[in-house]
Amino acid sequence: MNESENNFESLRRLLALKRHEIPPPGYFNNLPGQIMARLRAGEADAPQGITAPSWLLKFFQAFEAKPAYVSSFACSLCLLLLFGIIYAERPDATEKPSIFSALTTPPVSLVDAKSAVYSSSQPTGLMVNTNPVFSLEPVAMLFGQQNPLAQPVSLSLPGGN
Amino acid sequence: MAEPAARQDPESPAPVDEEALVRRARRGDLGAYDELVRRYQERIYATIYHMTSNHEDANDLAQESFIKAFQALKTFKGGSSFYTWLYRIAVNKTINFLKQRKNRTHMSLNDLDFNAEHDPDLVALISDKTPRREAGLTELQEKLNAAMLKLSEPHRLVVVLHDVQGLSHDEIARIMECNIGTVRSRLFYARQQLQGYLSDYLRPT
Repeated sequence: MNESENNFESLRRLLALKRHEIPPPGYFNNLPGQIMARLRAGEADAPQGITAPSWLLKFFQAFEAKPAYVSSFACSLCLLLLFGIIYAERPDATEKPSIFSALTTPPVSLVDAKSAVYSSSQPTGLMVNTNPVFSLEPVAMLFGQQNPLAQPVSLSLPGGN
Repeated sequence: MAEPAARQDPESPAPVDEEALVRRARRGDLGAYDELVRRYQERIYATIYHMTSNHEDANDLAQESFIKAFQALKTFKGGSSFYTWLYRIAVNKTINFLKQRKNRTHMSLNDLDFNAEHDPDLVALISDKTPRREAGLTELQEKLNAAMLKLSEPHRLVVVLHDVQGLSHDEIARIMECNIGTVRSRLFYARQQLQGYLSDYLRPT
């Protein structure tokens, strides 16, 4: 240990060289002025409202003071995102009726009655669907055949033309 | 900076006045903050410079550290001294900067002052007892800075704060927010590393 301490003593003497490194002459006379100028410019430019949410400032300042906070915050965000993805991909999660769909779906009895009446009275091939869930199945009849409801229009004006 | 600036007690410049200055600066008094900047600019700049080995980077980072400290003054609770708190901001800013520029190290070294040529320790180092006896002080300076840059940031920081700035283990532990044992072990490891890099320029035992 003593030998290494002796070696370190030599190293410490060499490291003392760094104390002799000096910035350009007059540097320390100008530095405070530059800092103050930047502070004044920053204060003039900054809108008053920016200083208001102090909790937000504290939040970000905590990140600067302890960079470990940034990592833990990022990790928790990633975990949250991962959890969200896994939860969304669960099959039972998609099948469960949500409160939203329950509220937006009209009462079954009314819809069924309406659609039954409409479809029986007009067998046109057009599908009437009141289900709010949009179906991605292709409707083959739309372009494959003539629409039986389309009638040629003939206009006759009272004047004869 | 010729004298080891941080060899003096960091708490030495009238702590009572410092508290008053901090209070005034916290209320937005730029004059008070200007006084605080003048007190600590040399030590803050020196620490950043010795970490980066680049004057321009040190200048930018020193300015940003002081500006950041002013903006964050309202969060300064006074649990530690203003000096330690300011140091912590500068050190964190510097380490973040060094991590970002990881693979592009460009040295822009300051000149050596006149006293360097008359420092007996340095004169001894470039005398006939070192293997590289022809090395001048400028070459020594370049090799030393290059060796420092090979250390990891925490190890370099400990060497800078202790062996260059002259801070105690306790002060370093407070600045780096770790325990004293960690500071000691990092210092030992860093010195070993440096010794290996600079063996040609050190006196043989």
